[in-house]
Amino acid sequence: MRELLVETFRYRQLIWALAMKELKVRYKRSVLGFMWALLNPALTMLVLTIVFSTILQFNIPHYAIFLLSVLLPWTFFSQSLSYAVECIVGNGELIKKVSVPKLVFPVAAVVSNIINLLLSMIPMALLVLGMRHPFYATWLYLPVPMLALVLFTLGMTFLFATANVYYRDVAHILQVVLSAWFYFTPIIYALDFIPPHRRWLFKLNPILYVINGFRLAVYYGQLPRWQSVAASFICGLVALLIGFWVFRKYQDEFVFYV
Amino acid sequence: MSKSSSASNGFLVELENVTQRFRVIHERPDTLRELFSKFLRHEVNYYELDAVKNVSLEVPRGQMLGILGRNGSGKSTLLKIIAGVFRPTAGTVRVHGTLAPLIELGAGFHHELTGRENILLNGLLMGHSKEEMQAREQSIIDFAEIGDFIDAPIKQYSSGMQTRLAFAVATEVDPDILILDEILAVGDAAFQQKCFARISNFRKAGKTILFVSHSMPQVQEHCDRAILLEKGAIVADGNPTEVAETYKHMWSAELAVAN
Repeated sequence: MRELLVETFRYRQLIWALAMKELKVRYKRSVLGFMWALLNPALTMLVLTIVFSTILQFNIPHYAIFLLSVLLPWTFFSQSLSYAVECIVGNGELIKKVSVPKLVFPVAAVVSNIINLLLSMIPMALLVLGMRHPFYATWLYLPVPMLALVLFTLGMTFLFATANVYYRDVAHILQVVLSAWFYFTPIIYALDFIPPHRRWLFKLNPILYVINGFRLAVYYGQLPRWQSVAASFICGLVALLIGFWVFRKYQDEFVFYV
Repeated sequence: MSKSSSASNGFLVELENVTQRFRVIHERPDTLRELFSKFLRHEVNYYELDAVKNVSLEVPRGQMLGILGRNGSGKSTLLKIIAGVFRPTAGTVRVHGTLAPLIELGAGFHHELTGRENILLNGLLMGHSKEEMQAREQSIIDFAEIGDFIDAPIKQYSSGMQTRLAFAVATEVDPDILILDEILAVGDAAFQQKCFARISNFRKAGKTILFVSHSMPQVQEHCDRAILLEKGAIVADGNPTEVAETYKHMWSAELAVAN
Protein backbone atom coordinates (compact mmCIF):
# COMPACT_ATOMS: atom_id res chain seq x y z
CA MET A 1 0.00 0.00 0.00
CA ARG A 2 2.88 2.32 0.77
CA GLU A 3 4.23 1.46 -2.66
CA LEU A 4 1.00 2.69 -4.23
CA LEU A 5 1.28 6.07 -2.48
CA VAL A 6 4.99 6.48 -3.15
CA GLU A 7 4.77 5.56 -6.83
CA THR A 8 1.67 7.66 -7.38
CA PHE A 9 3.44 10.65 -5.90
CA ARG A 10 6.62 9.98 -7.81
CA TYR A 11 4.85 9.69 -11.13
CA ARG A 12 2.24 12.37 -10.46
CA GLN A 13 3.26 14.41 -13.50
CA LEU A 14 2.99 11.39 -15.78
CA ILE A 15 -0.35 10.36 -14.25
CA TRP A 16 -1.69 13.87 -14.73
CA ALA A 17 -0.46 14.01 -18.32
CA LEU A 18 -2.05 10.63 -19.09
CA ALA A 19 -5.34 11.70 -17.49
CA MET A 20 -5.37 14.95 -19.47
CA LYS A 21 -4.52 13.01 -22.61
CA GLU A 22 -7.52 10.79 -21.97
CA LEU A 23 -9.85 13.76 -21.57
CA LYS A 24 -8.43 15.53 -24.60
CA VAL A 25 -8.82 12.46 -26.74
CA ARG A 26 -12.33 11.83 -25.42
CA TYR A 27 -13.54 15.30 -26.31
CA LYS A 28 -11.42 15.86 -29.38
CA ARG A 29 -13.29 16.64 -32.58
CA SER A 30 -16.47 17.43 -30.72
CA VAL A 31 -17.59 20.99 -31.26
CA LEU A 32 -18.45 21.55 -27.62
CA GLY A 33 -15.35 19.82 -26.25
CA PHE A 34 -15.08 19.93 -22.48
CA MET A 35 -18.61 21.34 -22.31
CA TRP A 36 -19.82 17.77 -22.74
CA ALA A 37 -18.64 16.94 -19.24
CA LEU A 38 -21.23 19.49 -18.06
CA LEU A 39 -23.87 18.88 -20.70
CA ASN A 40 -23.95 15.14 -20.31
CA PRO A 41 -25.27 15.07 -16.73
CA ALA A 42 -27.51 18.05 -17.51
CA LEU A 43 -29.18 16.22 -20.39
CA THR A 44 -29.38 12.97 -18.41
CA MET A 45 -31.13 14.95 -15.69
CA LEU A 46 -33.59 16.29 -18.20
CA VAL A 47 -34.44 12.85 -19.54
CA LEU A 48 -34.75 11.26 -16.13
CA THR A 49 -36.79 14.11 -14.77
CA ILE A 50 -39.24 13.75 -17.62
CA VAL A 51 -39.41 9.99 -17.28
CA PHE A 52 -39.79 9.85 -13.53
CA SER A 53 -41.75 12.95 -12.72
CA THR A 54 -44.28 12.79 -15.51
CA ILE A 55 -44.52 9.20 -16.63
CA LEU A 56 -43.62 7.09 -13.60
CA GLN A 57 -44.69 9.12 -10.66
CA PHE A 58 -42.74 8.32 -7.55
CA ASN A 59 -43.96 10.21 -4.57
CA ILE A 60 -40.62 11.90 -4.00
CA PRO A 61 -40.35 15.68 -4.09
CA HIS A 62 -37.58 17.09 -6.28
CA TYR A 63 -36.99 13.64 -7.65
CA ALA A 64 -34.33 14.86 -10.09
CA ILE A 65 -32.09 15.92 -7.21
CA PHE A 66 -32.86 12.77 -5.27
CA LEU A 67 -31.76 10.73 -8.26
CA LEU A 68 -28.85 12.80 -9.47
CA SER A 69 -27.17 13.04 -6.08
CA VAL A 70 -26.31 9.32 -6.33
CA LEU A 71 -26.44 8.91 -10.09
CA LEU A 72 -23.40 11.15 -10.54
CA PRO A 73 -21.14 9.15 -8.19
CA TRP A 74 -22.48 5.95 -9.75
CA THR A 75 -21.69 7.24 -13.22
CA PHE A 76 -18.19 8.05 -12.02
CA PHE A 77 -17.82 4.49 -10.75
CA SER A 78 -19.21 2.77 -13.82
CA GLN A 79 -17.43 5.02 -16.33
CA SER A 80 -14.10 4.66 -14.55
CA LEU A 81 -14.42 0.90 -14.60
CA SER A 82 -15.67 0.61 -18.17
CA TYR A 83 -12.80 2.69 -19.42
CA ALA A 84 -10.12 1.45 -17.07
CA VAL A 85 -10.79 -2.24 -17.60
CA GLU A 86 -8.97 -1.78 -20.92
CA CYS A 87 -6.23 0.44 -19.56
CA ILE A 88 -3.50 -2.21 -19.46
CA VAL A 89 -4.48 -3.96 -22.67
CA GLY A 90 -5.06 -0.62 -24.41
CA ASN A 91 -1.62 0.60 -23.44
CA GLY A 92 -0.08 -2.72 -24.42
CA GLU A 93 2.08 -1.26 -27.16
CA LEU A 94 3.56 1.13 -24.65
CA ILE A 95 4.08 -1.49 -21.95
CA LYS A 96 5.93 -3.65 -24.49
CA LYS A 97 8.36 -0.88 -25.33
CA VAL A 98 8.94 1.33 -22.34
CA SER A 99 9.69 0.38 -18.78
CA VAL A 100 7.08 2.29 -16.85
CA PRO A 101 5.32 1.43 -13.59
CA LYS A 102 2.07 -0.19 -14.65
CA LEU A 103 0.01 1.38 -11.89
CA VAL A 104 0.09 4.77 -13.62
CA PHE A 105 -2.48 3.54 -16.14
CA PRO A 106 -5.34 2.60 -13.77
CA VAL A 107 -4.61 5.60 -11.56
CA ALA A 108 -4.65 7.98 -14.54
CA ALA A 109 -7.91 6.44 -15.77
CA VAL A 110 -9.55 7.11 -12.43
CA VAL A 111 -8.08 10.61 -12.19
CA SER A 112 -9.53 11.61 -15.56
CA ASN A 113 -12.94 10.49 -14.34
CA ILE A 114 -12.56 12.40 -11.07
CA ILE A 115 -12.26 15.55 -13.15
CA ASN A 116 -15.47 14.60 -14.92
CA LEU A 117 -17.21 13.96 -11.61
CA LEU A 118 -16.16 17.33 -10.23
CA LEU A 119 -17.33 19.09 -13.38
CA SER A 120 -20.68 17.31 -13.21
CA MET A 121 -21.26 18.77 -9.75
CA ILE A 122 -21.77 22.16 -11.42
CA PRO A 123 -24.99 21.31 -13.29
CA MET A 124 -26.26 19.56 -10.17
CA ALA A 125 -25.67 22.71 -8.12
CA LEU A 126 -27.50 24.71 -10.80
CA LEU A 127 -30.38 22.25 -10.66
CA VAL A 128 -30.60 22.59 -6.88
CA LEU A 129 -30.80 26.35 -7.27
CA GLY A 130 -33.20 26.15 -10.20
CA MET A 131 -35.64 23.83 -8.41
CA ARG A 132 -35.42 25.95 -5.26
CA HIS A 133 -34.28 22.91 -3.33
CA PRO A 134 -32.44 24.05 -0.18
CA PHE A 135 -28.68 24.39 -0.72
CA TYR A 136 -27.49 22.59 2.38
CA ALA A 137 -24.25 23.32 4.17
CA THR A 138 -23.69 19.55 4.09
CA TRP A 139 -22.39 19.99 0.52
CA LEU A 140 -19.14 20.83 2.26
CA TYR A 141 -19.09 17.27 3.53
CA LEU A 142 -18.97 15.82 -0.03
CA PRO A 143 -15.17 15.41 -0.19
CA VAL A 144 -15.47 12.66 2.45
CA PRO A 145 -17.77 10.29 0.51
CA MET A 146 -15.84 11.25 -2.61
CA LEU A 147 -12.63 9.95 -1.08
CA ALA A 148 -14.29 6.67 -0.08
CA LEU A 149 -15.71 6.40 -3.60
CA VAL A 150 -12.33 6.97 -5.23
CA LEU A 151 -10.67 4.31 -3.04
CA PHE A 152 -13.40 1.81 -3.87
CA THR A 153 -13.31 2.61 -7.59
CA LEU A 154 -9.53 2.40 -7.73
CA GLY A 155 -9.58 -1.00 -6.04
CA MET A 156 -12.14 -2.40 -8.46
CA THR A 157 -10.22 -0.85 -11.35
CA PHE A 158 -7.01 -2.65 -10.38
CA LEU A 159 -8.91 -5.91 -10.10
CA PHE A 160 -10.79 -5.72 -13.38
CA ALA A 161 -7.85 -4.32 -15.36
CA THR A 162 -5.70 -7.25 -14.20
CA ALA A 163 -8.36 -9.83 -14.98
CA ASN A 164 -8.87 -8.36 -18.43
CA VAL A 165 -5.22 -8.92 -19.32
CA TYR A 166 -5.71 -12.68 -18.99
CA TYR A 167 -9.29 -13.01 -20.16
CA ARG A 168 -10.55 -10.38 -22.57
CA ASP A 169 -14.08 -11.60 -21.81
CA VAL A 170 -13.89 -9.56 -18.62
CA ALA A 171 -14.55 -6.28 -20.42
CA HIS A 172 -17.77 -7.71 -21.84
CA ILE A 173 -18.90 -9.34 -18.63
CA LEU A 174 -18.25 -6.09 -16.81
CA GLN A 175 -20.97 -4.30 -18.76
CA VAL A 176 -23.54 -6.89 -17.68
CA VAL A 177 -22.29 -6.80 -14.10
CA LEU A 178 -22.51 -3.02 -14.00
CA SER A 179 -26.02 -2.90 -15.33
CA ALA A 180 -27.22 -5.53 -12.81
CA TRP A 181 -25.35 -3.72 -10.06
CA PHE A 182 -27.04 -0.45 -11.02
CA TYR A 183 -30.54 -1.86 -10.42
CA PHE A 184 -29.45 -3.65 -7.28
CA THR A 185 -28.24 -0.34 -5.80
CA PRO A 186 -30.78 2.20 -4.49
CA ILE A 187 -30.15 4.84 -7.16
CA ILE A 188 -33.45 5.34 -8.96
CA TYR A 189 -35.25 4.24 -5.79
CA ALA A 190 -34.64 4.50 -2.05
CA LEU A 191 -33.76 1.65 0.27
CA ASP A 192 -37.09 2.32 2.03
CA PHE A 193 -38.92 1.01 -1.05
CA ILE A 194 -37.60 -2.48 -0.36
CA PRO A 195 -39.75 -4.64 1.94
CA PRO A 196 -38.03 -4.64 5.37
CA HIS A 197 -37.41 -8.40 5.41
CA ARG A 198 -35.39 -8.16 2.16
CA ARG A 199 -33.33 -5.12 3.01
CA TRP A 200 -30.49 -7.13 4.50
CA LEU A 201 -29.76 -8.42 0.99
CA PHE A 202 -29.36 -4.90 -0.35
CA LYS A 203 -27.20 -3.98 2.58
CA LEU A 204 -24.61 -6.52 1.42
CA ASN A 205 -23.85 -4.22 -1.49
CA PRO A 206 -20.63 -2.37 -0.61
CA ILE A 207 -21.22 0.56 -2.92
CA LEU A 208 -24.43 1.39 -1.04
CA TYR A 209 -22.40 2.75 1.86
CA VAL A 210 -20.01 4.53 -0.44
CA ILE A 211 -22.60 6.52 -2.38
CA ASN A 212 -25.19 6.96 0.33
CA GLY A 213 -23.32 9.91 1.82
CA PHE A 214 -23.88 11.84 -1.41
CA ARG A 215 -27.67 11.59 -1.22
CA LEU A 216 -27.79 12.43 2.47
CA ALA A 217 -25.64 15.53 2.01
CA VAL A 218 -27.16 16.89 -1.18
CA TYR A 219 -30.81 15.84 -0.97
CA TYR A 220 -31.58 15.51 2.73
CA GLY A 221 -29.02 17.94 4.12
CA GLN A 222 -27.91 15.37 6.67
CA LEU A 223 -24.62 13.90 7.69
CA PRO A 224 -24.40 10.11 7.71
CA ARG A 225 -24.05 8.25 10.99
CA TRP A 226 -20.47 7.43 11.87
CA GLN A 227 -21.14 3.70 11.40
CA SER A 228 -22.11 4.39 7.82
CA VAL A 229 -18.99 6.50 7.22
CA ALA A 230 -16.84 3.78 8.74
CA ALA A 231 -18.56 1.17 6.57
CA SER A 232 -17.90 3.22 3.43
CA PHE A 233 -14.20 3.57 4.20
CA ILE A 234 -13.85 -0.07 5.15
CA CYS A 235 -15.42 -1.05 1.80
CA GLY A 236 -13.16 1.39 -0.03
CA LEU A 237 -9.97 0.27 1.68
CA VAL A 238 -10.71 -3.43 1.45
CA ALA A 239 -11.44 -3.07 -2.28
CA LEU A 240 -8.22 -1.15 -2.76
CA LEU A 241 -6.11 -3.59 -0.73
CA ILE A 242 -7.41 -6.61 -2.62
CA GLY A 243 -7.31 -4.89 -6.01
CA PHE A 244 -3.79 -3.56 -5.61
CA TRP A 245 -2.51 -6.82 -4.15
CA VAL A 246 -3.76 -8.74 -7.18
CA PHE A 247 -2.47 -6.10 -9.59
CA ARG A 248 0.96 -6.07 -7.99
CA LYS A 249 1.19 -9.83 -8.01
CA TYR A 250 0.63 -10.05 -11.76
CA GLN A 251 1.99 -6.77 -13.13
CA ASP A 252 5.36 -8.16 -14.24
CA GLU A 253 3.58 -10.70 -16.41
CA PHE A 254 1.35 -8.19 -18.20
CA VAL A 255 3.94 -7.57 -20.88
CA PHE A 256 3.63 -11.18 -22.07
CA TYR A 257 -0.14 -11.09 -22.45
CA VAL A 258 -0.97 -7.66 -23.85
CA MET B 1 17.21 -7.41 -11.19
CA SER B 2 18.81 -4.41 -9.62
CA LYS B 3 19.30 -0.92 -10.87
CA SER B 4 21.73 1.41 -9.24
CA SER B 5 23.22 4.68 -10.28
CA SER B 6 26.85 4.09 -9.41
CA ALA B 7 28.88 2.01 -11.77
CA SER B 8 31.23 -0.09 -9.69
CA ASN B 9 33.69 -1.05 -12.37
CA GLY B 10 33.06 1.15 -15.38
CA PHE B 11 30.44 -1.10 -16.93
CA LEU B 12 27.15 0.69 -17.49
CA VAL B 13 25.34 -2.45 -18.56
CA GLU B 14 26.05 -5.83 -17.02
CA LEU B 15 24.17 -9.02 -17.83
CA GLU B 16 24.97 -12.25 -16.08
CA ASN B 17 23.63 -15.56 -17.41
CA VAL B 18 20.41 -13.94 -18.53
CA THR B 19 17.69 -16.14 -19.96
CA GLN B 20 14.31 -15.03 -21.20
CA ARG B 21 11.83 -17.81 -21.66
CA PHE B 22 8.59 -17.34 -23.54
CA ARG B 23 5.62 -19.58 -23.65
CA VAL B 24 4.55 -19.91 -27.22
CA ILE B 25 0.99 -21.09 -27.33
CA HIS B 26 0.47 -23.53 -30.08
CA GLU B 27 -2.94 -24.91 -30.06
CA ARG B 28 -4.12 -27.53 -32.42
CA PRO B 29 -7.43 -28.76 -31.18
CA ASP B 30 -8.89 -31.34 -33.51
CA THR B 31 -12.52 -30.72 -32.78
CA LEU B 32 -14.49 -27.91 -31.41
CA ARG B 33 -15.51 -30.10 -28.52
CA GLU B 34 -11.90 -30.80 -27.69
CA LEU B 35 -11.11 -27.14 -27.77
CA PHE B 36 -13.95 -26.45 -25.40
CA SER B 37 -13.06 -29.18 -22.95
CA LYS B 38 -9.43 -28.15 -23.03
CA PHE B 39 -10.46 -24.63 -22.33
CA LEU B 40 -12.49 -25.78 -19.35
CA ARG B 41 -9.65 -27.84 -17.95
CA HIS B 42 -7.14 -25.05 -18.61
CA GLU B 43 -5.08 -27.30 -20.78
CA VAL B 44 -3.51 -25.19 -23.42
CA ASN B 45 -0.66 -26.57 -25.45
CA TYR B 46 2.42 -24.52 -25.49
CA TYR B 47 6.11 -24.99 -25.90
CA GLU B 48 8.79 -22.99 -24.23
CA LEU B 49 11.25 -20.95 -26.18
CA ASP B 50 14.36 -19.30 -24.86
CA ALA B 51 14.44 -16.05 -26.82
CA VAL B 52 17.63 -15.15 -24.97
CA LYS B 53 19.71 -18.00 -23.68
CA ASN B 54 22.27 -17.67 -20.93
CA VAL B 55 23.69 -14.40 -22.14
CA SER B 56 26.44 -12.63 -20.25
CA LEU B 57 27.48 -9.24 -21.50
CA GLU B 58 29.34 -6.26 -20.12
CA VAL B 59 29.27 -2.93 -21.88
CA PRO B 60 31.69 -0.30 -20.58
CA ARG B 61 31.12 3.41 -20.45
CA GLY B 62 31.66 5.14 -23.78
CA GLN B 63 31.33 2.04 -25.93
CA MET B 64 29.11 1.82 -28.96
CA LEU B 65 28.06 -1.79 -29.26
CA GLY B 66 26.60 -3.07 -32.51
CA ILE B 67 24.19 -5.97 -32.25
CA LEU B 68 23.83 -8.17 -35.30
CA GLY B 69 21.67 -11.16 -35.94
CA ARG B 70 18.85 -12.38 -38.10
CA ASN B 71 15.19 -11.79 -37.46
CA GLY B 72 14.14 -13.76 -34.41
CA SER B 73 17.67 -14.17 -33.09
CA GLY B 74 16.80 -12.35 -29.87
CA LYS B 75 18.14 -8.85 -30.51
CA SER B 76 14.99 -6.98 -29.55
CA THR B 77 14.34 -9.23 -26.57
CA LEU B 78 17.85 -8.54 -25.31
CA LEU B 79 17.33 -4.80 -25.65
CA LYS B 80 13.97 -5.00 -23.88
CA ILE B 81 15.58 -6.85 -20.98
CA ILE B 82 18.17 -4.08 -20.68
CA ALA B 83 15.46 -1.41 -20.97
CA GLY B 84 13.56 -3.06 -18.12
CA VAL B 85 10.51 -3.98 -20.19
CA PHE B 86 10.99 -7.69 -19.49
CA ARG B 87 12.02 -9.12 -16.20
CA PRO B 88 14.25 -12.01 -17.25
CA THR B 89 13.34 -15.57 -16.32
CA ALA B 90 16.83 -16.16 -14.95
CA GLY B 91 20.04 -14.24 -14.43
CA THR B 92 20.82 -10.74 -13.27
CA VAL B 93 20.74 -7.42 -15.07
CA ARG B 94 22.53 -4.36 -13.79
CA VAL B 95 22.07 -1.01 -15.45
CA HIS B 96 23.93 2.01 -14.13
CA GLY B 97 22.63 5.39 -15.18
CA THR B 98 19.70 6.80 -17.08
CA LEU B 99 18.52 5.04 -20.15
CA ALA B 100 16.82 6.26 -23.30
CA PRO B 101 15.27 3.39 -25.18
CA LEU B 102 14.33 3.88 -28.79
CA ILE B 103 13.04 0.40 -29.23
CA GLU B 104 10.47 1.23 -31.78
CA LEU B 105 9.55 4.31 -33.66
CA GLY B 106 7.64 6.65 -31.40
CA ALA B 107 6.62 4.23 -28.67
CA GLY B 108 4.52 6.33 -26.39
CA PHE B 109 3.44 8.76 -29.04
CA HIS B 110 -0.27 9.31 -29.11
CA HIS B 111 -1.62 10.09 -32.53
CA GLU B 112 -4.36 12.47 -31.46
CA LEU B 113 -1.99 14.65 -29.46
CA THR B 114 0.17 17.37 -30.95
CA GLY B 115 3.93 17.12 -31.29
CA ARG B 116 4.41 19.44 -28.34
CA GLU B 117 2.09 17.40 -26.12
CA ASN B 118 3.84 14.24 -27.21
CA ILE B 119 7.26 15.61 -26.33
CA LEU B 120 6.05 16.11 -22.78
CA LEU B 121 4.25 12.77 -22.54
CA ASN B 122 7.17 10.85 -24.01
CA GLY B 123 9.62 12.58 -21.67
CA LEU B 124 7.46 11.80 -18.65
CA LEU B 125 7.21 8.17 -19.75
CA MET B 126 10.99 7.98 -19.82
CA GLY B 127 11.04 9.27 -16.26
CA HIS B 128 11.93 12.92 -16.78
CA SER B 129 10.18 15.83 -15.14
CA LYS B 130 7.83 18.30 -16.75
CA GLU B 131 10.18 21.22 -16.05
CA GLU B 132 13.08 19.37 -17.64
CA MET B 133 11.05 18.66 -20.75
CA GLN B 134 9.80 22.22 -21.06
CA ALA B 135 13.35 23.52 -20.82
CA ARG B 136 14.44 21.22 -23.65
CA GLU B 137 11.34 21.56 -25.78
CA GLN B 138 12.68 24.15 -28.19
CA SER B 139 15.94 22.36 -28.91
CA ILE B 140 14.00 19.13 -29.52
CA ILE B 141 11.76 20.90 -32.02
CA ASP B 142 14.76 22.47 -33.71
CA PHE B 143 16.72 19.26 -33.96
CA ALA B 144 13.75 17.30 -35.31
CA GLU B 145 13.07 20.04 -37.89
CA ILE B 146 9.36 19.87 -37.24
CA GLY B 147 8.72 23.60 -37.53
CA ASP B 148 5.11 24.76 -37.46
CA PHE B 149 3.86 21.20 -37.46
CA ILE B 150 4.72 20.96 -33.77
CA ASP B 151 1.20 22.03 -32.82
CA ALA B 152 -0.51 19.63 -35.22
CA PRO B 153 -1.56 16.12 -34.15
CA ILE B 154 1.12 13.49 -34.71
CA LYS B 155 -1.14 11.53 -37.04
CA GLN B 156 -0.58 14.21 -39.67
CA TYR B 157 3.17 13.66 -39.53
CA SER B 158 5.05 11.61 -42.06
CA SER B 159 6.82 8.56 -40.67
CA GLY B 160 10.12 10.37 -41.16
CA MET B 161 8.91 13.28 -39.05
CA GLN B 162 7.81 10.92 -36.30
CA THR B 163 11.17 9.19 -36.25
CA ARG B 164 12.95 12.52 -36.14
CA LEU B 165 10.85 13.66 -33.23
CA ALA B 166 11.32 10.36 -31.37
CA PHE B 167 15.08 10.48 -31.90
CA ALA B 168 15.25 14.12 -30.83
CA VAL B 169 13.30 13.49 -27.61
CA ALA B 170 15.34 10.44 -26.66
CA THR B 171 18.71 12.05 -27.26
CA GLU B 172 18.01 15.58 -26.09
CA VAL B 173 17.36 14.43 -22.52
CA ASP B 174 21.01 13.51 -22.10
CA PRO B 175 20.80 9.81 -21.18
CA ASP B 176 23.81 7.75 -20.06
CA ILE B 177 22.76 4.82 -22.18
CA LEU B 178 21.07 5.08 -25.55
CA ILE B 179 19.33 2.13 -27.13
CA LEU B 180 18.72 2.28 -30.87
CA ASP B 181 16.73 -0.55 -32.40
CA GLU B 182 16.80 -0.27 -36.18
CA ILE B 183 15.15 3.08 -36.02
CA LEU B 184 17.67 4.79 -38.22
CA ALA B 185 16.47 2.80 -41.18
CA VAL B 186 13.75 5.42 -41.56
CA GLY B 187 14.48 9.05 -42.22
CA ASP B 188 16.33 10.55 -45.13
CA ALA B 189 20.06 10.54 -45.65
CA ALA B 190 20.52 14.10 -44.40
CA PHE B 191 18.79 13.37 -41.16
CA GLN B 192 20.71 10.11 -40.73
CA GLN B 193 23.89 12.14 -41.04
CA LYS B 194 22.64 14.44 -38.32
CA CYS B 195 21.74 11.50 -36.09
CA PHE B 196 25.16 9.95 -36.49
CA ALA B 197 26.77 13.30 -35.76
CA ARG B 198 24.84 13.43 -32.52
CA ILE B 199 25.68 9.80 -31.76
CA SER B 200 29.37 10.48 -32.17
CA ASN B 201 29.05 13.41 -29.76
CA PHE B 202 27.46 11.00 -27.35
CA ARG B 203 30.42 8.68 -27.71
CA LYS B 204 32.83 11.51 -27.08
CA ALA B 205 30.89 12.40 -23.95
CA GLY B 206 31.51 8.86 -22.67
CA LYS B 207 28.00 7.53 -23.11
CA THR B 208 27.12 3.97 -23.92
CA ILE B 209 25.17 3.15 -27.06
CA LEU B 210 23.53 -0.12 -28.00
CA PHE B 211 22.89 -0.19 -31.69
CA VAL B 212 20.86 -2.76 -33.58
CA SER B 213 21.10 -2.55 -37.32
CA HIS B 214 20.85 -4.75 -40.36
CA SER B 215 23.26 -2.47 -42.15
CA MET B 216 26.70 -3.98 -41.67
CA PRO B 217 28.49 -0.93 -43.10
CA GLN B 218 26.79 1.23 -40.43
CA VAL B 219 27.91 -1.13 -37.69
CA GLN B 220 31.45 -1.34 -39.07
CA GLU B 221 31.73 2.40 -39.44
CA HIS B 222 30.32 3.51 -36.10
CA CYS B 223 30.70 0.73 -33.55
CA ASP B 224 33.68 -0.08 -31.33
CA ARG B 225 32.55 -3.61 -30.83
CA ALA B 226 29.89 -5.93 -32.17
CA ILE B 227 28.14 -9.06 -31.02
CA LEU B 228 26.33 -11.59 -33.13
CA LEU B 229 23.24 -13.28 -31.81
CA GLU B 230 21.95 -16.59 -33.05
CA LYS B 231 19.04 -18.43 -31.46
CA GLY B 232 19.25 -16.26 -28.38
CA ALA B 233 22.94 -16.81 -27.68
CA ILE B 234 26.01 -14.72 -28.41
CA VAL B 235 28.00 -16.59 -31.05
CA ALA B 236 30.57 -13.93 -31.85
CA ASP B 237 31.88 -10.96 -29.95
CA GLY B 238 34.63 -8.52 -30.86
CA ASN B 239 35.84 -6.32 -33.65
CA PRO B 240 32.85 -5.14 -35.76
CA THR B 241 34.47 -6.03 -39.06
CA GLU B 242 35.28 -9.57 -37.94
CA VAL B 243 31.85 -10.12 -36.44
CA ALA B 244 30.24 -8.82 -39.63
CA GLU B 245 32.36 -11.31 -41.60
CA THR B 246 31.18 -14.16 -39.38
CA TYR B 247 27.61 -13.01 -39.91
CA LYS B 248 28.03 -12.93 -43.69
CA HIS B 249 29.60 -16.39 -43.66
CA MET B 250 26.74 -17.71 -41.63
CA TRP B 251 24.07 -16.78 -44.05
CA SER B 252 26.04 -17.34 -47.22
CA ALA B 253 26.59 -20.90 -46.00
CA GLU B 254 22.88 -21.22 -45.46
CA LEU B 255 22.07 -19.75 -48.85
CA ALA B 256 24.39 -22.28 -50.44
CA VAL B 257 22.55 -25.11 -48.71
CA ALA B 258 19.21 -23.69 -49.76
CA ASN B 259 20.28 -23.49 -53.39
